[in-house]
Amino acid sequence: MTAAAPATVAPAARARPTSLAVLARFEARRFTLNPIFLAAAALTAYILWDRQRGVVTDTNTVSVYPAIFLGGLGMVAAFWLTQSMRRSADALDVAPTSWPARTGAICLAAAIPLLCGCLSLLAIVIFQHVPGIWSYGALGTSAGVAAALSQTVVPALGGPLLGVALARWVRFPGAAVVLFLILYGWVTLTYTLAASHRHSTLIVMLRFFAPFAFFTEEDSPGRVETWRGSPWFFLGWQLCLCAVAVIVALLRGADPGLRTRLLRLLAGVLALTALLYALAVVGGWAYPVISTPGAAPVPIAG
Amino acid sequence: MTTSISLRGAGRRFGTAWALADVSLELEPGVIGLLGPNGAGKTTLLRLLATALPPSQGELTVLGRDPAVPAQRTEVRRRLGYLPQEIGFPRGFTAFAFVDYIAVLKEWTQPDRRHAEVRRVLDLVGVSGSSAKRLRAMSGGQRRRVALAQALLGSPPVLILDEPTAGVDPEQRAVLRTVLAELARTSTVVLSTHQTEDVAALCDRVVVLDRGRVRYDGQVTELVGRAAGRVWLADAPDPAASVSWRTGTGRYRNVAEDARSGVEHVEPSLEDAYLLLRGSEPGSGGLGGSTDRGQAEELTS
Repeated sequence: MTAAAPATVAPAARARPTSLAVLARFEARRFTLNPIFLAAAALTAYILWDRQRGVVTDTNTVSVYPAIFLGGLGMVAAFWLTQSMRRSADALDVAPTSWPARTGAICLAAAIPLLCGCLSLLAIVIFQHVPGIWSYGALGTSAGVAAALSQTVVPALGGPLLGVALARWVRFPGAAVVLFLILYGWVTLTYTLAASHRHSTLIVMLRFFAPFAFFTEEDSPGRVETWRGSPWFFLGWQLCLCAVAVIVALLRGADPGLRTRLLRLLAGVLALTALLYALAVVGGWAYPVISTPGAAPVPIAG
Repeated sequence: MTTSISLRGAGRRFGTAWALADVSLELEPGVIGLLGPNGAGKTTLLRLLATALPPSQGELTVLGRDPAVPAQRTEVRRRLGYLPQEIGFPRGFTAFAFVDYIAVLKEWTQPDRRHAEVRRVLDLVGVSGSSAKRLRAMSGGQRRRVALAQALLGSPPVLILDEPTAGVDPEQRAVLRTVLAELARTSTVVLSTHQTEDVAALCDRVVVLDRGRVRYDGQVTELVGRAAGRVWLADAPDPAASVSWRTGTGRYRNVAEDARSGVEHVEPSLEDAYLLLRGSEPGSGGLGGSTDRGQAEELTS
């Protein structure tokens, strides 16, 4: 111990105002080292490695795993990471770095799971053995890209952002786990309903009213059903949900001026979200079709 | 001397209850002790000064800036160190990582300088040897010192400390006093504590709060002087004393509101003076008669 006088730090030695990047790097390191996220990344890697040993006949059996692990468990990790600092709130809240800046830094740290999502998609595209071009059924190349992005990459970003927003507003420590189970249950339920009520507009609406959706289903080996709805607009809806999560998270602790600007922005984003949702429901194939390699898609009888 | 903190008629209400009312203080560089019983409003006052809470009434300026204005509040926070009464620590953090994180929040963005500063403050509070240790594995006293270290980052011109020596052993307390005394040459250190000996050792000025109001604001020596002739030793508790307790020598230390003659007077301590002040407070119920040392300490806390 040094009992001597504290060396007063000259103002010149002090750094310039906090760069968000410094804090974001700090948070990204914490995110990367979070045991839940490490487990999620390891599970994703294992599943992708395991699946590439055989031929994938239904893309749903691959793309869902990065969403579950990087998105779902990533949400839990982000939630706990954000909440972990609550214990020290009295000391942190009087630091010159504001709540919204701290929240923004954690949101930026979601670039880590996003990167993992991108790598997962790359691994799927490069290493999964898919017979032909029909892995996304009757969806064209462009729509197939949108579906792949919406099922693999965007959930890896959206899940953690949702976790941050949840942690900023909900104190219950198990909130992220509960939400994960609710979303998992909802997606499973609407998938099951969609498989049995292919023509129902209501089911399409319910299926898309989620942060994750399926667009196809393997009917039998080599035959894939493509359901109603537009993957591109659904992708837009997902990205808007990400923006909503960020804005809602930033609202916590914002000064009145910033809060007003954020609320205005939120209103605009919500309107866009609603529009994209509606377009996702009415866009794409107007009726479900079934496709087989080398043959034109055939409408499924209602 | 320049006023660092100015409170004019400041108060803070929680619901319908006023935790602090009509407090006016001008605080200058030096160590200012804050004493008072539990519920007196000490922590509320410190939270106001630390910009953690806005006042419900009155005016507050810190270093000439108004914390009610967001931009000025940020300016104040750049020059402020705050040790809360209770501070929790995030799981998995080492002492170094925790203080380093706070340093980032305090805008120390250059890693080399930040790490050097973190090492410096950890060294000041005597935990540099345990800086790689997880906070969860540290003793309560060590954690308290880590919490103090984060407040010392950058040697801020305003330092608000809520019971900094709670749970800290006597040797460490002595060292912390040295550190704070040195810092007080240029900074305004507001120190809330139940340890009257810390106030006596460190502070020129003491503010006594009771039920949200300032009961005394002045020199420590003046407050102690008020107890002169009112503290004496005897072989038994004196019925005329407001409070008396058996000391380690087997004799009783008696403290009375009225000066006594013909008894063995002793030098009053700040604690005696504080007890007298509390005992003379209308509606405080007085201090009661004979008690043992433990009860007397309870009265002060």
